[in-house]
Amino acid sequence: MNGGRDIAIVGVHATRQQKKSGRTIVSMMMESIRGALDDAGIPLSEVDGYISYIFPAGNGRGFDDGAIAEQFGHPVAVTAQTSGAKAVLLAGAAIRAGIAKVVIIPAAGAQSLAGDMATYTRPTFEFTEWTGSMTPAQYAIMARRHMHEFGTTIEQMAEIAANSHHNASINPQAVRFGEEVQTVERILNGRMIADPLTQPMCSLVNDGASCIVVTSAERAKDCRHPPVWVLGGAAETHGNSYFEAPSLRMLGTRQLMIDGFAQAGVRHDDVDIVMCYDHFAHGPIVQFETLGFCEPGEGGAYVPDAIRPDGAHPSSLDGGNLAYSHNMIPYNFKQIEVVKQYRNEVEDLCPGWREGVHTYDRTICRKVREPRLSVGCGPLTDARHAFTILAKD
Amino acid sequence: MTAMTGIPLPQPTELSRPFWAAANEGRLVLQRCDACGHHRWTPQILCTNCLVEPFTWTEVSGRGKLYSYTIVYRAPLAGFEIPYVLAVVELEEGPLMLTRLVDAPTERLAVDAPVEVAFTRASEEINLYTFRLTDA
Repeated sequence: MNGGRDIAIVGVHATRQQKKSGRTIVSMMMESIRGALDDAGIPLSEVDGYISYIFPAGNGRGFDDGAIAEQFGHPVAVTAQTSGAKAVLLAGAAIRAGIAKVVIIPAAGAQSLAGDMATYTRPTFEFTEWTGSMTPAQYAIMARRHMHEFGTTIEQMAEIAANSHHNASINPQAVRFGEEVQTVERILNGRMIADPLTQPMCSLVNDGASCIVVTSAERAKDCRHPPVWVLGGAAETHGNSYFEAPSLRMLGTRQLMIDGFAQAGVRHDDVDIVMCYDHFAHGPIVQFETLGFCEPGEGGAYVPDAIRPDGAHPSSLDGGNLAYSHNMIPYNFKQIEVVKQYRNEVEDLCPGWREGVHTYDRTICRKVREPRLSVGCGPLTDARHAFTILAKD
Repeated sequence: MTAMTGIPLPQPTELSRPFWAAANEGRLVLQRCDACGHHRWTPQILCTNCLVEPFTWTEVSGRGKLYSYTIVYRAPLAGFEIPYVLAVVELEEGPLMLTRLVDAPTERLAVDAPVEVAFTRASEEINLYTFRLTDA
């Protein structure tokens, strides 16, 4: 990825995200695949790439390139198991290399598979399970370490969570839309899950699907919407999430992330939206530091103001994992929100949003003013990180 | 004493059986690479530093410091007695180890506090490598 405008996101879709939908994974995923291809104006027959953690169709035996081709009824050139930014980067690389033309990136998950806590984060691993480890506890350990090492405060984390909750409260598509709005005070006084993280500082668990369509600049010319260019990004995995001891070792990958900006010819200061990953309230702090938007240790002071809709780098504009959707695989949403903002398709409480008319009154409006250069994060855990740099003409 | 009954107990594998056998005798052992001397945790087939296969299960000090911790109020499964202290210990030999702190009064919990392996017996075969705070 070198900052060129040769690879584009041309289609996006998200189903309604909701608690206990009663829907199957495959039905939600097919709604999103059809929806995203329709959004792009590309027929299913042109799809020759499939990137997703799961394949819930075919012969029912899971992810396999043969099963995918068999189900699609035509040859598939590229398959891979990831999602979000990393999937977009891989799709772009495959298309640029000429080994695929149209890649779809579907994702779907359901609460029914996880109970009220994501099961994949507590593997039946002999060195994990007996400890009583589970997601909020793992991230609470990281949050406390960050507080100790850098003086980050729980109030700063609560402000970050409050930004997500506020944005969800004005996004009719958000799972928590219409529910009691979590203010800083309520967040701090919320039910303690794993000290210092209270329930409103933890990801939702809900049902839903999404899909992204990536293709070449040439194919994008005939699509229904202006292309969103994939200028570049970076992806790394440095460990086995949820099996190993959680730590802040992600900060050790900082130079790799900063190199991603340099290779795309992008300066951090020129970036508008940064859809980082608010899996837990401290997440954006570590990510802003790792991506190079601030120095390690500065995130606590920098991030809460930066991520507001009028801040330097607005984030969690849809309500994020905390209050829009965490369908187990929410990485695509960070890409999709950037696309929606670029296209001026931002549903909020502004009376004219359908016509693209926004008030910029932050009590009802979550539209960012004229974003042109943005970052979308995820997959992201304690041990992996990926982001794209997305631009509009 | 923290109850460690009614929780899912580890199922040793071919790779990990020597670790659990040593734990059963109250010894904390890690794989130490025969080529480069690197200690690794959790058990891996090859050295995470040089990818060499031969290694020796080596007793370690069992001492370290508290990298971080959380007090868990919402357990993932029934059987865990809440609240409990989930911790990451940085061993003197280097690796980070996910574990439980036992006999850990809240007022004494502090990041970077010195800790040592405690061991909590869960069954005839399984002696869990819990940790406790020390004075020094």
